[in-house]
Amino acid sequence: MTTDLRFRGARPGRAIVLSVAQLLMGLYALLIFYPLFNMIVSSFKTTREIFQHPFALPVHIVLSNYKVVWIDRGFGRYFANSLVVTLVAMAFVLLLGSMAAYGVGRYRYRLRTFVFMLFLSGIMLPLKAAIIPLFMLIKGLGLMNTRAAIVLIFLAMGLPSTVFILSGFMRSIPLELEHAARIDGCNDWGIYQRIVMPVTTPAIALVTIYNAVPLWNDFFFPLVFLQSNALKTLPVGLTTFFGQFSTDWSLLFTGLSIAIIPMLVLYLFMSRWFIRGLTAGAIK
Amino acid sequence: MTRVDVRKGLWITLFVLPGLAVVGVFILLPLFVSLFNSLFNWQQLIRGGFVGLDNFRKILLADPYRTRFFNALGNNLKWFIVTMLVQNSIGLLFGYLLSRKVAAGGFYKRIFFIPVLFSIVAVGFLWGLYLKPNGLVNAFLKLVGLPGWTHAWLGEEKIATFSVIVVNIWRWVGFPSLVFLAAIDSLPGECFEAAYLDGAREWTTFWKIVIPLIVPAITVITVLTIIGSLNVFEQVYTMTGLDGPPNYSTDTIGTLFYRTAFGSVDSGNPQIGIGSAIGVVIYLLTFVASIGSIVATRSREVEL
Amino acid sequence: MNRRKVFLASLLVFAVAGFAFAQKATIQYWTWRPEDVDKYNQLLSDFQKQNPDITVVQTAQKNTEYNTILSAALSGGSGPDVFQSRAYGGLETFAQSGYMEPLEQWVPELKGFASAPLRGATSIKDGKIYGVPFASQTLFVYYNKKMYAKLGLKPPATWAQFLANLDAMKKAGIQPLANGGKDGWTLEVMMGALCPNFYGANDYFNAVVKGQTNFQDARFVNAIGRLKDLIPYLPNLYMGVSYTDMQTAFINEQAGHFIGGSFEAGYFASQNPDLQFDVFPGPAAKAGDPQYVSTYADGNFSMNAASKNKAAAAKLLRWFASKATGDFFIKSLKQVSVVPGVDTSADPFITKVLSFQKYETPYVFLVGFRYQQPTGSTLAQAALQGMLAGTLSPADVAKQIQDGIATYYAPFKK
Repeated sequence: MTTDLRFRGARPGRAIVLSVAQLLMGLYALLIFYPLFNMIVSSFKTTREIFQHPFALPVHIVLSNYKVVWIDRGFGRYFANSLVVTLVAMAFVLLLGSMAAYGVGRYRYRLRTFVFMLFLSGIMLPLKAAIIPLFMLIKGLGLMNTRAAIVLIFLAMGLPSTVFILSGFMRSIPLELEHAARIDGCNDWGIYQRIVMPVTTPAIALVTIYNAVPLWNDFFFPLVFLQSNALKTLPVGLTTFFGQFSTDWSLLFTGLSIAIIPMLVLYLFMSRWFIRGLTAGAIK
Repeated sequence: MTRVDVRKGLWITLFVLPGLAVVGVFILLPLFVSLFNSLFNWQQLIRGGFVGLDNFRKILLADPYRTRFFNALGNNLKWFIVTMLVQNSIGLLFGYLLSRKVAAGGFYKRIFFIPVLFSIVAVGFLWGLYLKPNGLVNAFLKLVGLPGWTHAWLGEEKIATFSVIVVNIWRWVGFPSLVFLAAIDSLPGECFEAAYLDGAREWTTFWKIVIPLIVPAITVITVLTIIGSLNVFEQVYTMTGLDGPPNYSTDTIGTLFYRTAFGSVDSGNPQIGIGSAIGVVIYLLTFVASIGSIVATRSREVEL
Repeated sequence: MNRRKVFLASLLVFAVAGFAFAQKATIQYWTWRPEDVDKYNQLLSDFQKQNPDITVVQTAQKNTEYNTILSAALSGGSGPDVFQSRAYGGLETFAQSGYMEPLEQWVPELKGFASAPLRGATSIKDGKIYGVPFASQTLFVYYNKKMYAKLGLKPPATWAQFLANLDAMKKAGIQPLANGGKDGWTLEVMMGALCPNFYGANDYFNAVVKGQTNFQDARFVNAIGRLKDLIPYLPNLYMGVSYTDMQTAFINEQAGHFIGGSFEAGYFASQNPDLQFDVFPGPAAKAGDPQYVSTYADGNFSMNAASKNKAAAAKLLRWFASKATGDFFIKSLKQVSVVPGVDTSADPFITKVLSFQKYETPYVFLVGFRYQQPTGSTLAQAALQGMLAGTLSPADVAKQIQDGIATYYAPFKK
């Protein structure tokens, strides 16, 4: 490929720029792995050891933390609950979000900007600001202490940025593709499903991870709306390690290390879409 | 209306309505109810009489609210400027390099988003460890012979805000990188090939061809940066504190809003009316700034 | 189909069970102390043994989110039947909003409580008592006994002796103080532990609350200025030293003193059982003067005014006002119970803390000036950070506190 940036055969100027860039990216990679390593290592230490020797390897590996957190503190169940709530919410975020992004990004109509701004309004203030009216709403709908309440709130929280980001990407897809499909007899849904969605895949992968992480980590709404221990999610479980004047960092890091695994898996799975550079091929 | 218009209208409704309904009921409705509170006087948690814009007058014109509000807003401005200049420039550079298949690019693509996966609690705690007086950063500075550069990174009034911003950049720089990467990747390859055949230099290709074509992605990142900068809350809360310590130097309108509306455990009680008024101002500022940047960048958009 | 049958059957079982125990009440109880949940379960199970008709369900909320969640739940017409409530200004949020039940009628035991803890449970608006106080906290200085023995030091009675002890430690290569300035509230604690002996304890407190003097009084300016004497003994880059760093340094015997409060002893002991520590009250300005300590009511147990089980909730509150709970606080939580007549002799630490209370003075900003915004605490925490960082003088600190409080405090407006 003529468009690759490689060292081999590069002019001296470009080689220097490339080395600096490589150094930057390598440094950043280091800054990514060290905290990850640090977090996981801390989960094998006692709280006192975490503070006394924060950067050393554990003296005695405390494996019991994982047993305490997973079994005694019931994180197995919390983990499953989180998985259910996040997965269902994200499925709807992607479906309704990409549909709305299509409706906002691929049509021209008078209310378009208004609809777009309505969606965008949803991320201009944190929903936490409206906790009291939201509480009354959920109570009024009879959804207190149900997973549905959390799924709906998570769905609503995920939609605005999904619509915003996806509509930007969808707008930049050339119209010729759509015209060609229309001539082949595709209706609007067909164009959304078979033309626009495949081309938008990298952006969808991005939006998935962008929204799934905060939803997965959110403790506030489940804390307010789920009282039953059988429904509690993983981040709610994590809050029990925070005392008023002391925090059980040892168990907290164990919980956090468990919590990051599904997100890592999801991300590594999603990142395949970036690596393939799939879209460029689709358009050609 | 013609039949074509009706059909088009129906399709738009089908696509947009389900999402809009959910956002409308579960976000916009409670949010507006809560912003409506700003027009009332509040006795603790009970709504009192209608006071019009008095709460707004207080936060914009009357001390002690005014001082706190503009101090916080100034910090939000720092967040915006530094994030735009540093985070998004690095993101653009990384995204461009990755799109051009630099060495180890596949590996970087797989890891650059990992910091976002961390819970904010872990970020706050771990970076707190690195930035504390006897933490890793100062240890590193001493190691390389710069003991004079050591600081209480999160405890000095002049530095603390920037320390929190830098940690936030560490956390988020992968996001613009990948957005720009996705945007550049979705450009037709012919653009580049034509430029190369013409013998255009890398720098020229980047500025004259890539940038104009990824304006929609730039808009997305700019608007998200505006929204993010005006809504800074968790980062400050977990790294320095709800009161924006030391001495309000890391305070933002987000932390000011939260502790005014809900009260700070260690120091104060809720003032719902004034808190909601701060919320309205945050909302309006964000709205105007977002629209402004959308309009400003849309005029530069190039259709393919 | 099968599932449906099971569902119907279980419904029937519940109905029958519900009929059989129609008298059984369930009380929801909320706390901001997740670290004490297991211990409280013990106390609550003792209560349920004595009251088989009542089931108590304990829910611990994250301390920092507690007020927010409680506000949302109470405003929404639900929430717990019995809950921990903050003292003083924190109580008013819920008491003045009508979400708390006045307790004089329900809990006759309140009559026996001392006036100091009751002050934290009484609304300034209507003078009614809205909570059963659970503990008092006292601010003082912890010191490492081994280090004191090694250096031949004695607990100081005067400020000069205190500085001399700090100096001796510094010369011996030991970090004298664990305290830092990153978390503003720890500076307010430092002020509460050390300044009353300089501003004239109760005389000044009573005068300033009545508006007979203010915070720019020379006594107060001088008192907070004394904190600057400690700067040479604070850790390197102390403005970056957080509360957890302070705890770590003292627990792991990397620092000789920790200026804090009675709420910390339990954690110190649990983290390092080998740590030998003791406490002394804030040193006096000159020899022979009494050594005053700041004290405050930590919090209360309150009843939801909208509770559907007020009678059962009252039973639980009476249990919380009983000696059983008092003993539990002292033995299990290592906290200074304020239940009257509880035997404290079993715990030497608590006995010592109580002996300090012979000369007690209200923790000035929490007790007197945390009822409106900006609270004295908010103002003091930020300004003291400025003072320790060197950007504000003691007079600036006093002025900022005075100006902030004067925006609403009627006695200052005369």
